[in-house]
Amino acid sequence: MMDTIAQIQSDLAGITFDPSAWPSLRESRERAFQSHKTLGIPTLKDEEWKYTNLREIREDSYKIGQYVALQRDEVSSYLLEDLDPIRLVFVNGHFHLELSSSPSVPGLTFSTLANGVPSELGLLQKIEENTFAALNHATFADGAVVRIAKNTKIERPIMVLNMAVADVDRTVYCAPRTMIIAETGAEATIIESYASVGSRTTFTNAATEIFAGPNTRLEVVKIQGEGLQARHIANVEIKQQADSYLDHFNIAFGGAFTRNDINAFLDGSNISSRIDGVVVVGAEQHCDNHTRLDHAFPNCNSFEVYKHVLSGRSTTVFNGKIYVHQDAQKTDAKQTNQAILLSPEATMNSKPQLEIFADDVKCTHGATVGQLDSMPQFYLQSRGIPKDEAESLLIYAFAAEVLEKISHPGLRDLLEAKLFAKLAADREA
Amino acid sequence: MLHIKNLHARVEEKPILKGVDLTVNPGEVHAIMGPNGSGKSTLANIIAGRSDYEVTAGSIDFQGEDIVEMSPEERAQAGIFLAFQYPVEIPGVSNTYFLRAALNAIRKSRGEEELDSLKFLGLIKEKIKSLEFDAAMLNRSVNEGFSGGEKKRNEILQMAVLEPKLCVMDETDSGLDIDALRVVADGVNALRSSERGFLVITHYQRLLNYIVPDYVHVLMGGQIVKSGGKELALEMEERGYGWLEEAIGAGR
Ligand SMILES: Nc1ncnc2c1ncn2[C@@H]1O[C@H](COP(=O)(O)OP(=O)(O)OP(=O)(O)O)[C@@H](O)[C@H]1O
Ligand SMILES: [Mg+2]
Repeated sequence: MMDTIAQIQSDLAGITFDPSAWPSLRESRERAFQSHKTLGIPTLKDEEWKYTNLREIREDSYKIGQYVALQRDEVSSYLLEDLDPIRLVFVNGHFHLELSSSPSVPGLTFSTLANGVPSELGLLQKIEENTFAALNHATFADGAVVRIAKNTKIERPIMVLNMAVADVDRTVYCAPRTMIIAETGAEATIIESYASVGSRTTFTNAATEIFAGPNTRLEVVKIQGEGLQARHIANVEIKQQADSYLDHFNIAFGGAFTRNDINAFLDGSNISSRIDGVVVVGAEQHCDNHTRLDHAFPNCNSFEVYKHVLSGRSTTVFNGKIYVHQDAQKTDAKQTNQAILLSPEATMNSKPQLEIFADDVKCTHGATVGQLDSMPQFYLQSRGIPKDEAESLLIYAFAAEVLEKISHPGLRDLLEAKLFAKLAADREA
Repeated sequence: MLHIKNLHARVEEKPILKGVDLTVNPGEVHAIMGPNGSGKSTLANIIAGRSDYEVTAGSIDFQGEDIVEMSPEERAQAGIFLAFQYPVEIPGVSNTYFLRAALNAIRKSRGEEELDSLKFLGLIKEKIKSLEFDAAMLNRSVNEGFSGGEKKRNEILQMAVLEPKLCVMDETDSGLDIDALRVVADGVNALRSSERGFLVITHYQRLLNYIVPDYVHVLMGGQIVKSGGKELALEMEERGYGWLEEAIGAGR
């Protein structure tokens, strides 16, 4: 008996593996859990976790998140009703029917894993190498399935909202799982939003798999909007096929601790990949973004722009890898990583990594870290615009290079408003 | 409306203004001339409240209030406007957004109702027409990629929209072609009124043919060394600054 408990207990106290759940996935889930146990929880000695300390996550004890019947008024600001989205809502990883609105839209399958596990599940997540992806696979309670049929364009934004609801005595753990599958020629805007309720900490360990089929056009906007005590790890795996265009936006404003791994494998020719991020953190927030682009075939381009705004004693990490495989001739890859430090106590760690095995390629990266220039600030103030507002406006302008690319105007406006609100909150903090 | 008394100022420990006295009354146009590096832009920027310059002595009163400790936005809200010698580029902020934010900030400070984008567009349409301003530039980022002359016109457009009480114009004529100079001058003249004062910094008497000043001052070595009527500008243009320098030297 003791033996069994040891076998199903993660290194994270209170997180256990339930072998009886998801019978059809039994083999892969057991393998994932074993992998998680073998890999353990990384320390600062691990090159991939050099600037992000998992000690608090390692030493905490957890309670597996249960369904909570959240009421509409508790979450109304996260539902984005103004955008009229097609929406699935999960609470601590469990499906919340009443808050969801998934009308039947021709060409769109918008459902839960409980309703049917797609054959693509687990094809992209690297459970042998990534302890948190493995843990997610072994512990998800349910998940979202977004499948857009061949040559279908979905006009309304598709949204998956994951709420983490805190408990009074222990940190709630949940493992949201999201599957986005776009078949040949499909087109859509998908919002993957994370938020939290309650004052105690929560730990969200998310995993997302995005399959962008040939000739698809996708815009995926991940919003980390959890509370300032929340902890969040997300592994996003993207596979793009020939002639596809995908723009991934990583909008990270919330969370005490956030780590995103966003990996895109360009599995075909003539692919355009955009990997973008806007990170606005203050107080004691920590946000670490690791991205990886794999150029495996000729004639693809990838443009990556990450913008960081730091105040208080916040810290950010940016690690951007670009691998250009031997066959990926005529690759055009550009990476830009910029940070504005609004406080002398804020820290940005930045590490670009280019590994190029093809000879006919164009690959550049650039990083800047600095303060706001004083002349634009003075210029705006000299026209009557108050100092704080001028500062926000200039930061908005800094972030606009990314935000302006979001094609859905309502979503763009909403994120702009959120940006201004976050800047104002960080100023108060 | 503007009373500058014995103003001393420095930048990075270097004294630049060394006792400037100047009074501008409502309705008056004052021109300031002076050699490069004499402190004209410094004076203009100090009036607008740029914090890189440190006022070490003297006072600046605007409408009865000492403004030395006031922030740039408070001064703008009180009615001071500086048309910059080198207007600043602000990538990512559209000119229209900027103009409306500025106008509304000023209106708000006066307890006036803010203008929605529709009302604002109505107002701006009129202004750009009279200033022959290219409407396409409204949607571009503030001054980004504007030609030298376009930047100067944009300054005047802002001035026309914000309707300040004191207009400080720092070499607005530099970089303008002959037609643009006339259009800008017409714009300025249209703003002339018995309640509004102007401080026009220029190197060239030509501008003063269009915007006829009531007074002309020469700033040299951080001081106003000579003041006169509009004919002083002609004299300076003819004789240059050398003779004045000698004359001052001799007087000391
Ligand atoms: N930030 C600064 N740091 C150092 N010196 C400065 C700074 N700003 C101005 N100065 C110096 O102060 C002096 C006065 O400059 P200012 O710009 O006021 O001259 P100006 O009369 O406007 O000249 P111009 O006719 O060329 O525009 C110059 O010698 C200039 O180099
Ligand atoms: Mg000057």
